[in-house]
Amino acid sequence: MKRSLFLIVLLALGALAAFAWDADSLRIAAHDSFRVAEIEVTARALTKDIIVPQTLKGAELRRLNSLSVADALRYFSGVQLKDYGGVGGIKTINVRSMGSQHTAVYYNGVQLGNAQNGQVDLGRFSLDNMEEVQLFNGQKSDIFQSAREFGAAGNVYLTTRKPYFKDNERVHAHLRMRAGSFALANPSLGVDVKLMDGLSLTMDAEYVYSDGRYPFRYRRVLPNGETAYDTTAIRQNGDINAVRAELGLHHYYSTTGYWRLHAYNYWSERGVPGAIVNNVWRSGERLWDRNTFVQGQWQDEWFDRWSTRLLAKYANDYTHYLNYDQRLLPSDNEYLQQEVYLSLANKLQLFRWWDLSLAYDYQYNALRRDNLLLEAAPEHFDRHSHWLSAATAMNIREYLRLQAAVLMTAVSCQLPKVTPSVFMSLRPYPAIDLSINAFYKQSYRYPTFNDLYYTDLGNADLRPELARQHSVELAYRKSGRQTPVGYELTATASYYYNRVTDKIIAYPKGQQFRWTMLNLGTVKINGTDIKTDLSLFLPMQFTFRTRLNYTYQTAIDVTNPADTYYGDQIPYIPRHSGSAVAGLDWQSSRGDHYGLNYSFIYVGERYGQQENTIYNYVQPWYTHDLSIYGEWDVCGWGLKANIEINNLLGQDYEVIQNYPMPKQNIRCTLAATY
Amino acid sequence: MHLGSYILNKQFLLLSVCVLFVCAALFCSCRGDEVIYPTIGTHVTDEQRVGGLYILNEGNMGSNKARLDYINLESGTYYSNWYGAFNPTQTKELGDVGNDIQQYGNRLYAVINCSHKVEVMDRQARHISKVDLPNCRYMAFSGSKMYVSAYVGSVADADMLGAVYEVDTATLQVTREVKVGHQPDELCVAGDRLYVCNSGGYITDRYDSTVSVIDLGSFTEIQRITVGLNPTRIRRDNSGHLWVCCQGNYKSAEPELVILSPTEVLKRVPMSCANISILGQTAYILDGEAKRLYGISTIDYSVTEFAIDLSAYEHPYGLLATTDAIYITDAKNYVSSGVLHCYAYDGHERWTAKTGDIPGHLCRVMQAYELYDDGTTPTGKPSPFISRVYEYVPAMGQFVNELPQYADGDDAEDMCRKCEQALANDARGLISLGGWGGYITFGFDHSVKNSEGRDLQILGNAFRMSGNDEYGSSEPGIVLVSRDDNGNGKPDDTWYELRGCLYADPATTHNYARTYRRADDTQHNTFHQHPYYPQWITEDSLTFSGTLLPAQTQTVNGQNVQRILEYGYVDNKPNSDVEGTTFDIDWAVDADGHPVLLPSVDFVRVYTAVDDRTDATGEISTEITGAIDLNCNK
Repeated sequence: MKRSLFLIVLLALGALAAFAWDADSLRIAAHDSFRVAEIEVTARALTKDIIVPQTLKGAELRRLNSLSVADALRYFSGVQLKDYGGVGGIKTINVRSMGSQHTAVYYNGVQLGNAQNGQVDLGRFSLDNMEEVQLFNGQKSDIFQSAREFGAAGNVYLTTRKPYFKDNERVHAHLRMRAGSFALANPSLGVDVKLMDGLSLTMDAEYVYSDGRYPFRYRRVLPNGETAYDTTAIRQNGDINAVRAELGLHHYYSTTGYWRLHAYNYWSERGVPGAIVNNVWRSGERLWDRNTFVQGQWQDEWFDRWSTRLLAKYANDYTHYLNYDQRLLPSDNEYLQQEVYLSLANKLQLFRWWDLSLAYDYQYNALRRDNLLLEAAPEHFDRHSHWLSAATAMNIREYLRLQAAVLMTAVSCQLPKVTPSVFMSLRPYPAIDLSINAFYKQSYRYPTFNDLYYTDLGNADLRPELARQHSVELAYRKSGRQTPVGYELTATASYYYNRVTDKIIAYPKGQQFRWTMLNLGTVKINGTDIKTDLSLFLPMQFTFRTRLNYTYQTAIDVTNPADTYYGDQIPYIPRHSGSAVAGLDWQSSRGDHYGLNYSFIYVGERYGQQENTIYNYVQPWYTHDLSIYGEWDVCGWGLKANIEINNLLGQDYEVIQNYPMPKQNIRCTLAATY
Repeated sequence: MHLGSYILNKQFLLLSVCVLFVCAALFCSCRGDEVIYPTIGTHVTDEQRVGGLYILNEGNMGSNKARLDYINLESGTYYSNWYGAFNPTQTKELGDVGNDIQQYGNRLYAVINCSHKVEVMDRQARHISKVDLPNCRYMAFSGSKMYVSAYVGSVADADMLGAVYEVDTATLQVTREVKVGHQPDELCVAGDRLYVCNSGGYITDRYDSTVSVIDLGSFTEIQRITVGLNPTRIRRDNSGHLWVCCQGNYKSAEPELVILSPTEVLKRVPMSCANISILGQTAYILDGEAKRLYGISTIDYSVTEFAIDLSAYEHPYGLLATTDAIYITDAKNYVSSGVLHCYAYDGHERWTAKTGDIPGHLCRVMQAYELYDDGTTPTGKPSPFISRVYEYVPAMGQFVNELPQYADGDDAEDMCRKCEQALANDARGLISLGGWGGYITFGFDHSVKNSEGRDLQILGNAFRMSGNDEYGSSEPGIVLVSRDDNGNGKPDDTWYELRGCLYADPATTHNYARTYRRADDTQHNTFHQHPYYPQWITEDSLTFSGTLLPAQTQTVNGQNVQRILEYGYVDNKPNSDVEGTTFDIDWAVDADGHPVLLPSVDFVRVYTAVDDRTDATGEISTEITGAIDLNCNK
């Protein structure tokens, strides 16, 4: 029954698309070309971009039923989200199965760091003030980037709202209130002020509260179908209280130069709900976080050929972990991380078709760990990292674009590592927007402070983990803007082969559950991503959009043929996963918008541990989400109302074993923009 | 139309995209009802041994994958997730992190550490109940009580001290609690004391190094014995000494094995001891770091290395020595299936079986269960070993109140349970019957059939004198058998004596009687400074009646030894002499000495048959270490 529902949805989408296609096929000449309106910073040089990122932005981003960046990233192909459930549960992503620590996340162009555990909780980044979320496999295709950006295997770029003022405007304001199931209260406020021409100030604040008390259900049946047990309980200790405040200053002082400053502060207190295991229905761990950073960027260009960008950042992150559960040994730990980051990037345009870039980055990380219970002297760890990159990009005729980069990474006193990357894009038919893209890239994931120094577990002799990526992609883009039906289509199919070696894993050290970190593990990943975006501009101001993603991945452990799990799929990587989004928008003659959006996410069967046995088997899960919205223009204010129903059919599922996810839940949003 | 444009033909492209996604949809499977984890039987050995073995797989913290497996050693079938077959309705299965498993009386107990409970099951692992105990670690049993160590007490403690809970095995209620040291792990009962290892293992660099001594009467800590850093395991040998495995701090402090008297340190052996199993007079020590197995004599502490090759192990973990095999588990990388290896004592590997994650804890049982094909209906096979002790009434003797150990407050029922623990399931503990007339009555989980030839083997601790087979340590006991004629399950029916070689001997006295008085209990030798009169007997005198054999003690080569009788008596010939330790129900005679044909028997009684003593070893008392129904499962 459920399978057929999924099929019907897909077939319906396909049929709709086929109908639309047939209607316009007679009218559109093959050489017609239509580009999506984009904000191009500069049009003087030829664009030398190769990698087509997966992008969600603007209205499309807001149409998805998403609270945080993590929710939005589920709609990208090749991405697996780890979600421990609820508003406060940790959410990290794993791109093309290489491990979440191979994915770098950038906030307005500067990487978010966590030298302690290398993981960025994407659940903490609100979509509220997000302009754009992009995912680049390999690296960003513009070679004008900081050295460190060449260093990660997958890159997620988060770009916050930039202020745009019309000539007579000085102030924009944005007010929003969201409420929903599990006592979700999420007001936010944003103000943009034009201080003078080219100089603007943005302020943004948001508060999130949820008691996290969602019902979940464990039901198991006997092989004959009779109920073995059926228990419904309420998730405990999953509450969250979080405040985010941001301040940005942007100054475009000339046609080529600008600087900006951004200050960010996030404060939260939350419960860590813990695993649901036999006889344990709640846990008592509490977590306090404060993430503060200030970052600045300055960029200019000289002689039409030479661009320079300077980045600087200071981050100060505090975490306090307390275990209240009296059944466990108490713990009370404080962590303070500091980061200083400087980057200088230069790009030289030798010819219109040939660019060179050179960048140097420096970063200092420090961690202070305090065990408040033992009252021992705090422990300090720090490290200096240097990156030096050289890259080149060239366009050969209209057909071929090439990029190559070399990155040298030196972390503390270790021998520098050199990693190359090569990118290629071939567009065989000038008239047809079909390109064949390919890349090879090496990247290192450096051990975190926890890997290196965690009490008893850390191993200071760890080598960095190496990922080698090979990827080939076929991308096709076509559009036509005719009446009655216009369309935009992008279709991409990619195949990749990745190999992760020297994987850093925890390995038992003798008896008594002592573990140590070792460079032990090799994973071979073969994957295919297929994605299509289709927008149809229908008569009577209707717009229909679909977005289909499908990923097939094998991620095989090939560490040691003697292991029982040799050749098995690594934990939590489904072979099949995908998503489908369909939305219908209508614009009235008065300019009001109404829309209906449906999204479906599928994550196939997978295993919770290395060994692919029936005892580690995890069932597929899939959710249907529905939302409806309206936008009205009232006295110069833009008003928006939105109702979302998530997990429409109330599936009882787990992304991570023993961490139940919420059943059906609702969110309502009211927003006003001036 | 050339190929390129054909490929780019829109209909074709669109169709391909649709087909691709539909294909993808077909490949993707849907979610069905979540079926409980299956119980899977795998044939692993053709050897036919008795009983079975429980394997408690710990599973990693938070994974809820504690898994109880079982191997039927008679059919050689290894069942993974045995518990699941009988308890499908237990919400979230057995639980998170299995830490200890033991059989006591008619029940199986498993400590599930991170589920904060002790799971109480019947012998076949059917859930009976659970005892909620926070962060519980290990168990020990004595009388009608279970003692459970736990990393935390019922009230949070600023010093993070652990506790030991006393649980009544009848009501499964916590009766008392005592605070001990940091992170108590294994514990064991010796005499009326409980000895608890305080590991301190949760806080690196602050390991504890003591053993807490708990007086079971007052349930208070009366002493702390300093052993070595980070003690985690403690086991009692047959002489009442305690073997403590101290793990060291994995840095400067080396691991060591500390042997306690039990209140004082007798010996320190520098040795890494990941696991320990004591059987008879050997302590088997698993050195997890060096991947070696050693045997240490509990008598003279001489060390032997076994020729068992553990070099291919990733992480040697669990260990159990039984009379016919040594079981060792490999926990691999702790996050995947382990392996259970079975070795013969000569070191050759007999078979292996794939286990769950972290097979840490083994429990040998004498019941062989099988699962029918439908996966739900189990069938019990009878055990060839003693399953019940009905009566234990020793006559006055130097080992009485010691084998088994009497604790204040024990009643006759408690003493029977202690005997059961020592004898049932081939445990091969030692029970002394004291002077003439003292007896024990035991039974099996079935009626013992009277088949052709010998039917029963009863084990003792007799041995031959070296160089002279006619003499040795022989402390003969007479065997009586009885059928449950009135069907009340109690040994209150007619008894028949099994006629031994001296039955008709003129020196044998039939219908002899003797009375022991508590008031006469004054002469205690230097080795046994305790009452000889059974302390749980409330009456002040005990009268026994039966057959008295002539005393056999003689001095041969300057040693006080006994002449070994030809046949028909318990504790007369060494256990290795099968002919000399087995009995035929056809030997049964009634009170008048007439042979009786009994098709089967339900109760067996053994009593000390001589009234004799030697200066060196005190009174002659029959000792019994077990019994086997030879016809069982034939």
